[in-house]
Amino acid sequence: MDTHAFWPLGRSNQVSLWRLLSLLVPVALISTACARQPTAESQVEPAPSPTSQVVEQAPAPPEAPADESITLVDGVGRQVTLPGPAKRIVSLAPSNTEILFALGAGAQLVGRDDISDYPPEAQAVTSIGSTYGQLNSEAILALEPDLVLAADITAPEQVQTLESLGVPLFLLPNPADFEGLFDNLETVGRLTGHLDQAEALVEELRARVEAVTDKVASADPVRVFYEVDGTDPTAPWTTGAGTFQDVLMGLAGGENIAGDIQGWGQMNLETIVARDPQVIIFGAGPWVPTTAESLAARTGWDIISAVQTGRVHGIDTNWVDRPGPRLVDALEQIAVFIHPELFGEETS
Amino acid sequence: MMDAQAREGMPRRGGRTAWLLSLALLLAMAMLNASMGPVKIPLSDILGMLASRIPGLEISGEWSLQFRTILFDIRLPNMILIALAGMALGGSGAAYQGLFRNPLADPYIIGVASGAGLGAVLAMAARWPADFLGMAAVPAAAFAGGLITVGLVYAIARIGRATPVTTLILAGVAVSSFATAMTSMIMLLSTEELHRAVNWMVGGFALGGWEPVLASIPYLSISLTALAMLGRPLNVLQFGDEQARQMGLEVERAKLILIVMASMAAATAVSFTGIIAFVGLIVPHVVRLLWGPDYRRLIPLAILSGGSFLLAADVIARMALSPRELPVGVVTSAVGAPFFLWLLQRAKTRVRFW
Repeated sequence: MDTHAFWPLGRSNQVSLWRLLSLLVPVALISTACARQPTAESQVEPAPSPTSQVVEQAPAPPEAPADESITLVDGVGRQVTLPGPAKRIVSLAPSNTEILFALGAGAQLVGRDDISDYPPEAQAVTSIGSTYGQLNSEAILALEPDLVLAADITAPEQVQTLESLGVPLFLLPNPADFEGLFDNLETVGRLTGHLDQAEALVEELRARVEAVTDKVASADPVRVFYEVDGTDPTAPWTTGAGTFQDVLMGLAGGENIAGDIQGWGQMNLETIVARDPQVIIFGAGPWVPTTAESLAARTGWDIISAVQTGRVHGIDTNWVDRPGPRLVDALEQIAVFIHPELFGEETS
Repeated sequence: MMDAQAREGMPRRGGRTAWLLSLALLLAMAMLNASMGPVKIPLSDILGMLASRIPGLEISGEWSLQFRTILFDIRLPNMILIALAGMALGGSGAAYQGLFRNPLADPYIIGVASGAGLGAVLAMAARWPADFLGMAAVPAAAFAGGLITVGLVYAIARIGRATPVTTLILAGVAVSSFATAMTSMIMLLSTEELHRAVNWMVGGFALGGWEPVLASIPYLSISLTALAMLGRPLNVLQFGDEQARQMGLEVERAKLILIVMASMAAATAVSFTGIIAFVGLIVPHVVRLLWGPDYRRLIPLAILSGGSFLLAADVIARMALSPRELPVGVVTSAVGAPFFLWLLQRAKTRVRFW
């Protein structure tokens, strides 16, 4: 939804930053205008143009294989046509990079955003710089991509800029649930010529999701609090309705105590104490100073059931925040946190 | 003699009423703040629980652990920290406005906030552990950043033995811009820490618990007491440096003490609650509109009213979208600005405002 992982403060902040950065866009246009001339021809050629396709296909029907062109509608309603499976892909989001590698399309990746660090092989791919804000259009063009795979975190101005440069761009929407994720996997499979792998992966992932939901089906729901950021421990950031965290907690047999908050928001500690979560899960990563111990030591948190029973767990935020295949890892992990009794006490 | 001259032409309004009203308002807001929250605790229970903690009074009651935790570990430390921050911002704002003889001056004018912001973001980007060298890393870095910046501004602005206020303001603006630019750059380079930093910037940051309260009390009791006693030199400074010198004031020393004390108060507030806008700018003006421009009264009254104002804003921040909580710094501007405009509209026909 409007709640992308890397921008937990939500749309409003994103918009204001984008507005600020949009001031830079004219500069980008001017600077890339020089680069545009030489590359434009090579980029424009494969661009969707029904008439030119007809003209192209007509003269040489015998040796041309069946029309390989791919037409799909992307996450912002743009109709995108590729002449064939993409061979030189630039990924603008870590989730996209993870999906590409999971489908076996990693070798087709020629560029990635700076945050794309998984799987480790991804780090060997040329970085085009920042994930947010001012992407380096020049660096992207220089890689001569036949597909730029954008995501919801890609700024609209950036989409426009790349579009006007004639770069084929497909924006993968953030999924709202696992079916949305599976759709995304198949979409990327189609775009990259890995539909078979995508279907196989979806089948495998769907089975893993069902294995979890089957196990917790008859279990009593457990009250869970998910902490995104505890910089302000009197009002930590949490994830409410409409977030993937909420979906994960629900599927894992939990009940999100912040279910009445829409999207991301700060929840007052008083409310947390009153709703008394039985399990607390916090997003953990190298930049998060929170540990299970530091959380338990916060003033006022000691009477919460989860703290008293030691059921405070960190989860790698990258599993949860990046809408890619590792969401299933996250689901399995969260299910173990919430219902250890059903999963043979795999808790560490 | 100096006093008589300084007081000349200064309308004195309210007399004792000003003190009583301001104090009563602060206490009322403190009670309101402690009694309001997402969890409803009846006022009788709150009073009962408070009374049970007063030594000598043998009051015992049956209050749930949850109620006691919410009141004593969550609401009270938050209430006191918010009140202290509001007092610090109100007092230092009034002092800076007097020192710079400028109605646009606020506690952040010579770089406390931008310096503290840079310190805080550095601490976050460097991923210092929460208890770095036994201190709370972010507040400690913010406090140091704020004071270092002010020190730098003061050193730059000093020309020979004098520190002209215009130079001080200009140096402050320049150094602040630089610090803000560095902050933005670090934030953009370290995207993962970004939301922590943004949170801090909009004044939605509290450590929680009693440690921040205890840590800020020494700094604030020194700085606010000093500011409250500096009303007379501030009155004299209103005539300009030259006149003030002729009237027997050691102008440069007075300025230095004012800057040190006001910056210490502002830096303490910023360190523990983030950058809360508007309070330090508007509260002194409101007090001036209501009770007159005599700094001997203006400073202490601005201290009391700053506390009241921030306590009220905090109630709104916690209650408006409950169970979601808003950063208090957003509320102070969103609610404070219309209120101030209304007051300005009413007052401008009656008194000269500045």
